Amino acid sequence: MVVEKNIKIGVVSCSGEDCLGGTISRMATRKMMDENTAYTVATLCLPLFLAGGEEERGFARKYPTIALEGCSKYCAKRATEKYSGKVSDVLNVADFIGDEMAESKLLSTRNLTDEHMQMINQVLTELRKKLDAIAKDCAVANGSDHELTGNCGCSCGGNK
Amino acid sequence: MSKKIKVIPCSGMGKVFGLAAREAALKAVDELVPDEAETLCLAYVMTGDEAAKDKIEGYDCITLDGCPALCAAKSAAICGGIVKEEYRVVDAFKKHRGIKAGGATTLTEDGWMVVDEIAAQIADKVKELGKEA
Repeated sequence: MVVEKNIKIGVVSCSGEDCLGGTISRMATRKMMDENTAYTVATLCLPLFLAGGEEERGFARKYPTIALEGCSKYCAKRATEKYSGKVSDVLNVADFIGDEMAESKLLSTRNLTDEHMQMINQVLTELRKKLDAIAKDCAVANGSDHELTGNCGCSCGGNK
Repeated sequence: MSKKIKVIPCSGMGKVFGLAAREAALKAVDELVPDEAETLCLAYVMTGDEAAKDKIEGYDCITLDGCPALCAAKSAAICGGIVKEEYRVVDAFKKHRGIKAGGATTLTEDGWMVVDEIAAQIADKVKELGKEA
């Protein structure tokens, strides 16, 4: 297995308290963090980022970063681009579950249903694809243009 | 804009305390004092949009923070909220040393127990502030 832990990618995720999209984006990001990837994924705490967290802002200046949005206010992207620099990619939960659903009532993780878990997994799948694509670009740029494997420890590209 | 007291958690992504703050705020405003309190999206408030500013400026706030950075308390104050109480979620966990509360993704039963305790404290504070008003 080829592991490129020196490749670091940030995820600035909405952890919003305004609507369901915030719960979905938060959970998708957390699930991503709990996976083993062939590269390093760091979640940048949006509230800390906004409150002046220099470590978070510095990371986003130095490494490619994806903004994961819970709704169409795009708070994560706006904050990252205001304090650090252009994001490498953006993912909006509303694009997967629709604006109406994304902006529906905020939900406790205690009350997540199978339907919500499907939404989370859908966003997670797309997030993983985007992270893999960025990692591949980084590997090419680093001159280590080999296939980065998935999480399962073999070269099949699958996940545990 | 609603006169309800704003309960604002940090909702931090890195540790269990951020999740606990978020869940305690939700329980308080949704179940315990829904007519007297509501939560606000901290990230949106901090964008500086006029609509976001209107939601917090001049309103009584209770903040819940998961780490010593106190992002919720600092941000609420910066945005013009009147922070009446700053809760540090970690203090609630200190009363239950050694418990396995879960992580930043999910909470265990013990974690939910602490969340419920924090939510009850928040609700009491909301009622107290309501009487003062």
